[in-house]
Amino acid sequence: MASASSALASLTFSSPHFMGHKVSIKEPTSMPARVHFRQLRVSAACASTAERPVSHIACPSSLYEVLGIQMGATSKEIKAAYRRLARVLHPDVSANCRNDAAANEFIKVHEAYSTLSDPEKRADYDRTLLFRPRRSFSVSVESMAGPTSSGFSGYSKRTWETDQCW
Amino acid sequence: MAEPEHTVESKCETTEEEKSSSASSEVVIGIDIGTSQCSVAVWNGSEVELLTNTRNQPLIRFDVPVDNDIPLGEVNYHLSHKHERLSGASILNMKRLIGRVDTDRVVHASNNFPFLVQTLDMGARPFIAALVNNVWKSTTPEEVLALYLAELRIMAESKLKRPIKDVVLCIPVSFSRIQLTRIERACSIAGLHVLRLMPEPAAVALQYAQQQQHMLRDNTGRVSKRIALVFNMGAGYCDVAVADIDGGVTEIKALSGSEIGGEDLLENMMRHLLPSFDKLDIKSMGLLRVAIQEAIHELSREESIQIDVDLGNGSRLCKEVKREEFEEVNKFIFCESEILIVECMHSANVNVEDLTDVIVVGGCSCIPKIRNLIENLCEREIYKGMNPLTAAVYGTALEGALTSGIDDPLGDVDLLTSQVTTLGIGIRANRFEFVPVIPRNTTMPVHKEMIFTTFKDNQTEALIVVYEGEPELEDENHLLGYFKITGIPPALEGVPEINVGMDINASNELSVLARVIIPGSRQPVVPVMELKMPTVDDGHSCCNEVLDRAYGPTLDSMIVRRKNHSI
Repeated sequence: MASASSALASLTFSSPHFMGHKVSIKEPTSMPARVHFRQLRVSAACASTAERPVSHIACPSSLYEVLGIQMGATSKEIKAAYRRLARVLHPDVSANCRNDAAANEFIKVHEAYSTLSDPEKRADYDRTLLFRPRRSFSVSVESMAGPTSSGFSGYSKRTWETDQCW
Repeated sequence: MAEPEHTVESKCETTEEEKSSSASSEVVIGIDIGTSQCSVAVWNGSEVELLTNTRNQPLIRFDVPVDNDIPLGEVNYHLSHKHERLSGASILNMKRLIGRVDTDRVVHASNNFPFLVQTLDMGARPFIAALVNNVWKSTTPEEVLALYLAELRIMAESKLKRPIKDVVLCIPVSFSRIQLTRIERACSIAGLHVLRLMPEPAAVALQYAQQQQHMLRDNTGRVSKRIALVFNMGAGYCDVAVADIDGGVTEIKALSGSEIGGEDLLENMMRHLLPSFDKLDIKSMGLLRVAIQEAIHELSREESIQIDVDLGNGSRLCKEVKREEFEEVNKFIFCESEILIVECMHSANVNVEDLTDVIVVGGCSCIPKIRNLIENLCEREIYKGMNPLTAAVYGTALEGALTSGIDDPLGDVDLLTSQVTTLGIGIRANRFEFVPVIPRNTTMPVHKEMIFTTFKDNQTEALIVVYEGEPELEDENHLLGYFKITGIPPALEGVPEINVGMDINASNELSVLARVIIPGSRQPVVPVMELKMPTVDDGHSCCNEVLDRAYGPTLDSMIVRRKNHSI
């Protein structure tokens, strides 16, 4: 788990590299962030973590980007985008059986959706986007929307057997 | 409660299509374990097929006699006489008793069963026994359920001519995680592996979604976007769901449920007609039970009926019962079910005008009072396109097909349901307060974290006690497990961060993580604790009291929720 949280640290610090044009990049690029990120995701708990594909939304710059929509999207578009992604990422979709990475992404997508589909939460979130501090985007989400999945994003779940509860 | 309506989708032998579609992957069956009757169904490649027992019944009574060395239950063996069933040697209604302790209201209400349920009111398991040759033989709900499930598996294997391992079950909304592990245990004793435990109304919503998708494809549907309210009341439980269905994706918005059902209607009627009924012996109790059950069924069709039953030992019950009388006696139950609907719509943030369809299923769905109150409350007619007794098992068979990854070139089951948590999960903090980390009605899979901190200066240990339930119903919350974090570096109160993470995967398995962080460092200072919950077996008063005694008053290991902060 130690490696998972260091992955979090690097994720937070390296996130400006993925943010695109909307955010001004202050820290100079010192290393190939993506490679670094993947190495750190290998955890002792699950060796297969290394093979997991790192998705394009692993490190998004905004909840809008998580859903792949524009900031001004209508509530209909938000819902449609969520449903489109759910049909690909939800663990019940057959291709994703026992795929933790897809489940983690679904969790992120759903969190983005639950914030943006609630007019009040969305307005709050839009404000934080405007006045966002440059550093560590994930923190501003956390303080705004309560508990989020950012912390253990590199953490991989074991598949439990029923008889372990005996 | 109603007599089975025999609607068998398809009884044909294995078709060519079925052979080709199921050869590639394991067949997953769906099982609806009802309080009074059960059913099994499977997706055969083109439609859902209900499996029938040797007497061609798709709805199989839940009844397990314990008087044989080789158990032969109602599934494949016909218990010919009512007397045989009600002689005390046969166990029923296990769904109501599984995973409950002897202080539970539902266990106390079980004194009208024709077998022994002994309670000592100390928060332990009740003693359950069947009378065999004048000997009380003890058993447990898990054991009875496992015997029954094994028979269902054998039945399915002989029908489908292949070994069956994987299963999707539907469960009541109000089941605790302790009860879910008991169901899983019973399944694994019966040689079945549980792929999903699906809330019953969610399974019904899935069948509805499939129907809507077909209608849309056949151009008979109106719009693709619908919001459905599902009300499911059986013999043991009453559940409500609000589902938002759009383009094959079914989002369960909210669930609510309670352990009220036909059994309560029956008990109230027994008490009303024969106040001293609990003094009857087992046989007379059984006879009274059957007579009143039949009377309740009749009252759904007739305004009044005549009960005339010989209870043996020279006593006889002879009385006319009117429908209004039945409704008056059970006023509270009907009121309760109304509250569940209102509560569910409120949690889903949905108004009556938003509803497209109102679906009413389950054994109690034919009771006129129930139908009337729902029609009045929801201001519309009840949806007609569904068999109320097989809707849930139909949904589990669909879910089984979906999770096993079937080939679906025609898009017959191009569906997805996202489930929500039925109860909140949290820890004890701020002295004795229950702080939910994952609230009720949260979409699964989910991962949430919350930050707590120490209660006093130089506190080096913290006790994490995990509960399931609602903050306002603290006494009714179930204990799921507990552990102690040690090695917190000495610091002022409120400085160390105790990050509690909870993770529920798509199969509804819960794990709890805790890590300690000192501000300024991002590394946990002690190894992260990770536990699969529930770790306790009973989740009730016994363990709770011991914990309180050992740790409550000293406050040594207390933690408090940290206010909004930034790292």
